Amino acid sequence: MNSKILALIQITFRESLAKKTFIAFFGISTLICLLFMFALNLDIVDGMQSSVALFGQESKELIDIEMLIFKIESAVAVLLFSGGLFMSLFATSGLIPSLMQTGTVDLLISKPLGRFHILLGRYLGAVAIVGFNVFYLVIFSWLILSLKTGFWHAGFLMAGIMIVLTFAILYALMTLLGILTRSGAFSLMITYLILFFSPLLLQRDQIYALLSGKIWGILLDSFYYFLPKTAELGNITRLLVQGQPVFSWMPLWTSVVFGILMLTTSTYIFSRKNF
Amino acid sequence: MTVIETHHLTKYYANGRIQALEDFNLEVTPGMIFSLLGPNGAGKTTLIKLLLGICFPTRGKAKIFGQDIKNYSCHSKLGYLAENHRFPEFLSAERILYYYGKMAGLNRSYLLERIPELLELVRLKEWGKVKIRKFSKGMLQRLGLAQALINDPELLFLDEPTDGIDPVGRREVRDILLALQERGKTIFLNSHLLSEVERVSDEIAILKNGKLIEKGNVQQFISVKHTYQLRIQNGKAELPDILNQFQISAQEKDDMLLISVSDEQQLNQFIDELRKRQLMIQAIIPHKVTLEDFFIKVLEDSQPS
Repeated sequence: MNSKILALIQITFRESLAKKTFIAFFGISTLICLLFMFALNLDIVDGMQSSVALFGQESKELIDIEMLIFKIESAVAVLLFSGGLFMSLFATSGLIPSLMQTGTVDLLISKPLGRFHILLGRYLGAVAIVGFNVFYLVIFSWLILSLKTGFWHAGFLMAGIMIVLTFAILYALMTLLGILTRSGAFSLMITYLILFFSPLLLQRDQIYALLSGKIWGILLDSFYYFLPKTAELGNITRLLVQGQPVFSWMPLWTSVVFGILMLTTSTYIFSRKNF
Repeated sequence: MTVIETHHLTKYYANGRIQALEDFNLEVTPGMIFSLLGPNGAGKTTLIKLLLGICFPTRGKAKIFGQDIKNYSCHSKLGYLAENHRFPEFLSAERILYYYGKMAGLNRSYLLERIPELLELVRLKEWGKVKIRKFSKGMLQRLGLAQALINDPELLFLDEPTDGIDPVGRREVRDILLALQERGKTIFLNSHLLSEVERVSDEIAILKNGKLIEKGNVQQFISVKHTYQLRIQNGKAELPDILNQFQISAQEKDDMLLISVSDEQQLNQFIDELRKRQLMIQAIIPHKVTLEDFFIKVLEDSQPS
C-alpha cells in the first residue's frame, strides 16, 4: 500500500511543480536567503556584536549576539509563518478539485486503492511539497545566520515544523471544501477567511463589549475553540524560536483536533461520493 | 464461474428523479468479449462505474471474480479505460504508465520491462518521453489503452476505446482485443461503433433508459432464422419452377437470391433438387443483418405503442 500512496504523492508533487506557483515560491525563498546572505554583515568580538550592518546600514550599539540572533530568527519565523502559509495555501488550492475531475478520479478508483488512500495520498502530497519548500527556506536561512554568527540555535528549525503543521491543519479544511464544492477558488477564500479571522477571535473580549446579548459571546467562544487558532500558533512559533516557555498548548492541540476532524469528514464524504 | 454478475442492480440520481439503471441482471463468463450497446444516456457508463466502485448502487448487488464490488482488492485483476479519461498533462507517456502501474501495485522492475512493450503495442514507442500535452486525441486514447493493460488484467473494461482513433488505429485496437481474448482475457466493451462491436463481440446487451431490453449471442442476433443467400451459376430460368415446387418464398438481392425455408430439411431437399437438375451452386450462406439493423429494430420494438 505504501508504494501506491507514494506514487500518488509523487504525482501530486509533480502537479504542484508543473503549476509553477511552487517554482515561484522556491525562487522567492532562494532570493530571500541570498539577500540575507549578502545584506547582513556582523562583526563579533567575544560573543558581543561590535558592528552589524543590514543593507549597508550600520548600527553602533553593542547588543548581546544571542539576543540579536533570537530577534532576527523570530522576525524571520513570523514572516515565514504568515507569508509561507499564504503562499502555500494559494499554491495548493487547486489540487483537490483537480483530483475530483471526471476522468481523473475514475482512473484512480479503478486501481486497487481505497478511496481513503487516494485522498490521503493527495493530502500528503500537498503537505510534502509545502514541507519541502518551507524547510528549504528555514534550513537555508538558519545556515546563513549560524555560519555568519557562529551561533547554532536549533530552535529556529521549530519554525519549519510549526508552519508545516499549521498548513496541514488549514489544508484539511481546504480538502473538505474542495470535495464539497470542487472549487479551488472558493475553498481558498474560505480558508483565508479562517486564517485572518483567527486574530479577530483572539480579541473577542473587546468584541463582547460592543455586542449586546449573551448568545454572541457563546457564539464567538464556540468559533474560537472550534476553529484553528493561527494567530496563536504564530505566537507559539515565535516563542519556540526564541527559546521561551510556551504557557498554553491549548491553541495547538485544539487546532490539531480541528484538522483531524476536517480530514475525517473529508474522507467520509469522499468515500461515499458518486463520481 | 462468472467474471461479472449483477443482481437487480439499480442506480438513481438526483434523489430518484433520474433513473440511470433499473433492475439490471447480467452474467459475463471468462474469456468473452461482452459489449454493451444503447443510445446516449442509456446507462452504459453508469453500469461500468457501478462495477468499478466509482459510483454506488441505489439497490441490488454485483460481484467481480466472485467478490462484492465494494471490495476493491479485485481491482488488481482488472484494467479500465474511461471515456474522456484525463491524465496529468505535465507528465510523459512513460511516467504516466509508471505512476499508474505503481498505483496498481506493480513493482519497478516489472514496469521497466512492461512499459516499452505497451508503448510498442499501442504505437507510441517514439513518444514515450514526450509530455502528453502534445498528444492528439487518438494518441491519448491509445495511451489510455496501454494504461488499462499495464497490469496484464484478467478483465478489461473499455468505455468507447476507439473514440478519436483513425480507421487504421481502430483495426489495431480490434486486433489487440482479439489477441487478449485468445489469451483468455475477458473484455467488457462499451462502444457506439456497432460495426466494431459486431466484429469482436461474443455477446451483447442492449440498454435503453437504464433497462436491459435484449441480451444474447451476437451471431444469433444478426442471423435471420431459416433465411439463406443463394448464388447459382446457371439454369436461373428453372429456379421459379423449383421454388414453386417447394413453396419457398424468394426475393432477389444484389446478385443473390434470398430464400426463406421452413426448416433445414426443406433446405436440403431444395439443394438436392438443384443438384439433380445440375444447377451449379456457387454459394449458399445464412442470411445476416448488420448489428446496426438489429440494434435499431430492437430499439424501435421497445418503443411503447
